[in-house]
Amino acid sequence: MTRHASTASSARTTLQKLLSRFHFGVTLFAVALSGLTILLSGITAMRGYADRNIELAAQLGAYGVEPALVFNDAAAAREGLAPLMKLPGIAKLRVLDDRGRPLTEWASPTEDPAPLLTRAFFPRPFAVTIHRNGSAIGTIEVWGDSTTLIDYVRIGLLAGLACLIITALGTIVMARRFEYELVKPLGEIATVAHDVRLHRRFDKRVQPLRIAELDRLGGDINALLDELQGWQGSMESERAMLAHRASHDGLTELPNRAAFDEQLALRIAAAAQHGTRLALLFIDADNFKAANDRFGHAAGDAVLVALSDRIRDTLHNRDFAARIGGDEFVVLVDPLDPAVEPKVLADRIRAGISQPLTLPGGEPYRPTASVGVALYPDEATDAAALLTAADAAMYADKLSNRTRS
Amino acid sequence: MGVAKRVLASLFLIGAITSTPQMSVQAASQTIVEDGIDGMTNAVNRMLGGIITYARWPGAADSNRTLCLVGTPRLTDRIAPTLPGNGPRIILRRTTAAAVTGGGDCDILFFGRMPDADRQRLIGWVRGRPVLTISDDDPGCLYGAMFCLAQKPAGVSFSVNLDAIARGPIRVDPRVLKIGQGGGGTP
Repeated sequence: MTRHASTASSARTTLQKLLSRFHFGVTLFAVALSGLTILLSGITAMRGYADRNIELAAQLGAYGVEPALVFNDAAAAREGLAPLMKLPGIAKLRVLDDRGRPLTEWASPTEDPAPLLTRAFFPRPFAVTIHRNGSAIGTIEVWGDSTTLIDYVRIGLLAGLACLIITALGTIVMARRFEYELVKPLGEIATVAHDVRLHRRFDKRVQPLRIAELDRLGGDINALLDELQGWQGSMESERAMLAHRASHDGLTELPNRAAFDEQLALRIAAAAQHGTRLALLFIDADNFKAANDRFGHAAGDAVLVALSDRIRDTLHNRDFAARIGGDEFVVLVDPLDPAVEPKVLADRIRAGISQPLTLPGGEPYRPTASVGVALYPDEATDAAALLTAADAAMYADKLSNRTRS
Repeated sequence: MGVAKRVLASLFLIGAITSTPQMSVQAASQTIVEDGIDGMTNAVNRMLGGIITYARWPGAADSNRTLCLVGTPRLTDRIAPTLPGNGPRIILRRTTAAAVTGGGDCDILFFGRMPDADRQRLIGWVRGRPVLTISDDDPGCLYGAMFCLAQKPAGVSFSVNLDAIARGPIRVDPRVLKIGQGGGGTP
């Protein structure tokens, strides 16, 4: 049974593992989704800012080079572009006159740190047409590069990564907590169920739990355990009653023949093992049939009950008495005191029985009994032979009584 | 957009003021390179047009500006300023110093070669009046004209006399002043 359980548990997954996996999946999905959203919105915003930046630079350049275009002055155009050359994030500048011929050009001496980023964000130059008095006099073209973006992207990625780690850690902690809250009460229920099954501890109960569904489950289990405990109690008492009924005589409440046979075998085995002696007394009521016939069955029963009570009164600590037949009783004196004569034992029983009693009909009655004694191992070494010997001794006693009376 | 332009203009003005020493006469360094037979004429007229288009007269904008030509131009004898786009129409009038001071109704005075006395009289007369003065006979721009055109090996250039501009009510775009002050060091 336990082997089966262990193999099953190794093949199956625990609730904690399942929850952990589920939580991790959900967390990963949520973090990835939010991260992607932030990344996309960040890129969009960044792209907007970059475009605005380049546009502003182009407008500034257009303003600066306008007179230079009017005067067709390359040097002035270069001067007009000077403020733009100091701006980071500008890779190349070009001023074209109204006929599309380049007036001046400038390329940033610093190398583009991330050409891929540049290609993604500034695939084309930003061109502004320069007007003077309503007519186009030239064009300024501005190529952006990634110098301003690279830091932003780098910091953004780092911050995103940090956020991801923090979020992941936070959700792991929260998932752990949730698992603890759920798995612990389930474990408590399982412990109670296990205890009940393995140790028959029907008095165990599930404590109140914080989660409503589990508390209801615990309550149902408790109710089931209440019923089980009730059944168990009534079953045990019934079984004890049946066992008592099977081994005892209904009238005298003394053990019956079956119980005696069992007890005799046990005691002989014990005596053989320890080398002790024991005495078997066979008791038979005298003239019981005659009394029965004369005073009726109720009177007979009263005599039998009285006999059994008196026999029981003569018993010492481990002595054993039984009713093995209609008016036949036995007593096992165990252990047998070597100082006591077997005859004394029989006389004590006989004396106890022969006290007078009043029958249910009001008649006085003085019962007598014949008693035979057999000793183990002196007269017999097995149960049947010992009983036969005691029976024979009783019979001899009865004969002598008849002759006596 | 108007605010942005004003801001940008201020920036340029600040740049112009801070990056150059305050000299009344600026060294010219501007060049317009033109080829062909009419190269010099075109260059001079383009430069004149450029200067005029960046000058602001007080009062309402006028669609016509009168250019009074006094003396003999040295760089070209076919003075006809070319303005970009829809600039004011330029009416050219050849006149004399006496006619100008006598109420010639000139917006722009172009000084060619002329007697020193006439020039001094005209410069004195211009002071405080809304008249733009341009000379092509004063390479050092020392005799009081606001703008002076000069021939350089690479082409034509102009220089600015900031004192002369400051004395009159005419406003000139600071970007042009910056070009005129010749920060560029062109060969």
